Amino acid sequence: MKKTIIPIGPYHPLQEEPEYFTLTVDGETVVDIDAEIGYNHRGIEKLSELKNFDQSTFVIERICGICSTSHPYAYVRALEDIAGVEVPPRARYIRTIIAEGERLHSHLLWLGLAGHFLGYNTVYMWAWKLREEILDVMEIVSGNRNNYAMFRPGGVRRDINPDDIPIVLKKIKKIVPTLTMLHKAVRDDPVLHARTKGIGVLTKEESINFSALGPTSRASGVARDVRKDTVYGAYHEMDWKMIVTENGDVFDKVVVRMLEMLETIKILQYCFTHLPAGPIDSGLKGIPAGEGIGTHEAPRGETFHYVRSDGTNRPVRHKVRAPTFMNLPTYKATVKGSQLADAVIILAAIDPCYCCTERMAIRDPGGKRLFDGRELVALSQRKSKLVQEQLGIRELPLDALGQVAP
Amino acid sequence: MKLPKIRELLEAVKALVVGPYTSRFPRKPHVPFKSFRGQPQFNEDFCVGCLACEEVCPAGAIGHNDAVSGGKAVRTIYHYTDTCIFCGECEAACIADHKGIKLSTEWDLAFFDRNRAFESIDRDLVTCERCGAVVAARRHLQWITDRLGELAFSSPTLYQTKLKELGLIDDNPAAVHRENARSDRLKTLCAHCRRQTTAGA
Repeated sequence: MKKTIIPIGPYHPLQEEPEYFTLTVDGETVVDIDAEIGYNHRGIEKLSELKNFDQSTFVIERICGICSTSHPYAYVRALEDIAGVEVPPRARYIRTIIAEGERLHSHLLWLGLAGHFLGYNTVYMWAWKLREEILDVMEIVSGNRNNYAMFRPGGVRRDINPDDIPIVLKKIKKIVPTLTMLHKAVRDDPVLHARTKGIGVLTKEESINFSALGPTSRASGVARDVRKDTVYGAYHEMDWKMIVTENGDVFDKVVVRMLEMLETIKILQYCFTHLPAGPIDSGLKGIPAGEGIGTHEAPRGETFHYVRSDGTNRPVRHKVRAPTFMNLPTYKATVKGSQLADAVIILAAIDPCYCCTERMAIRDPGGKRLFDGRELVALSQRKSKLVQEQLGIRELPLDALGQVAP
Repeated sequence: MKLPKIRELLEAVKALVVGPYTSRFPRKPHVPFKSFRGQPQFNEDFCVGCLACEEVCPAGAIGHNDAVSGGKAVRTIYHYTDTCIFCGECEAACIADHKGIKLSTEWDLAFFDRNRAFESIDRDLVTCERCGAVVAARRHLQWITDRLGELAFSSPTLYQTKLKELGLIDDNPAAVHRENARSDRLKTLCAHCRRQTTAGA
């Protein structure tokens, strides 16, 4: 049996952090996968230790461009854990609004990319068009589409202008019908079923063994969500459902995220309409000596921050664990045994960052380049066409309308 | 298979009617939302030159240079556009009612020469009459005097700056009799010289 080793990386794009995958393939089937990370070491933890508590929130915000508020949220919670302060209700609501807005745009971004990998470029365009609405909402609320700079230890930096709330609510309401339509379209599309059902299955047991987090674990039937498990923000003051499905395949991961977006919209609408009056900052002055942990349910799972303070105005130690770090090893369970053409969507299913796809390359052991990122995506898209022909459907139902050139 | 087709067709028709979300940017100028965080700009009327913004800036995008030449001391405060992360901490920390430096909605910040990607503001400095060291920006001292009220008269540096601004006294009211004289204590002094004249005379 001749085996080919396919390295993907080192700037592997499907992830937050550039990393290096080695896929061992036997013909079309992936028999092994190995991942290496650490190519994008920026010394963020050390940088954070060099700035004071107030300033380092801005450094932490730049760990990730998409979940730029999850890290500050976990960080300020760690500081509040040390100081033992109570965050004012209005600040808690504003924090929840920012965190949920981020989840919404992150999931929409992922949905668009997942559609693109499967050859549904219309989903790609529509999802990203929807994403503009929520990015506008974030710009109205915080002043920027991303990197909101809203969090400070003990509260938030900026207040929400009451005049903006009707505009914002109108924009959020506009997302719902299209999102529901997309959800229904995904649910009854036969090609999508063929491409994603039973593909990249992560069983409940494996999910627990790998300590998978966020939507990746919830799609496998593990009901784990920091927003439900701990009391923070405004999450415990309203009614919303944690979405859990049982199968753990790519399809379920899509469904979990789609439904989660609708729940997020519910949370956002509640927060905007029930925004309590009062101060937005508890006036925290200085962090006493001690150590604290902070967690937050980022779009990709639980973000964990540990901070140790010695009573000065800088952290002595700051440890960050991003959710992808825990979700990445699940590839061992999901990619093995799948087709190479499915590998792209399985790798993407844990919600990776796709900004640098073009730098991905597949090589044979002699160093000859076999595929680059564009070709891998094309491989995946070709499979969708193939499945569609086998099912006897003339064209991809969604993509036949408003076909956009990739 | 028919129903989903209609559902998606409706969305497609809607998309046709509504048009693209993107604006026709180069032809139609982009107007950001009111709350947009753009380029921070110094305000000539309000900035007192206290450097609070430089102190809090997490990115180190604000710097200053104090130049003393020919009896005139000027502090130039720089804001570097290329380093700025538009967090608004400078505006939040500004002691002049958050008006000395303020975030604008200016977003078109592209430049060709990185060395010119800054804006600056000049503030007059008050120097020590004994050693010539920089005490503080003139308007900063005035700002402190205004806040302190009559308490400002405990410090000659403060009240003389104020009196000079009002045109009530000349530049150098106390003539030099000898080094470290007690009369020196009535001059505009830096912290170091004040200690010397008080404790060393």
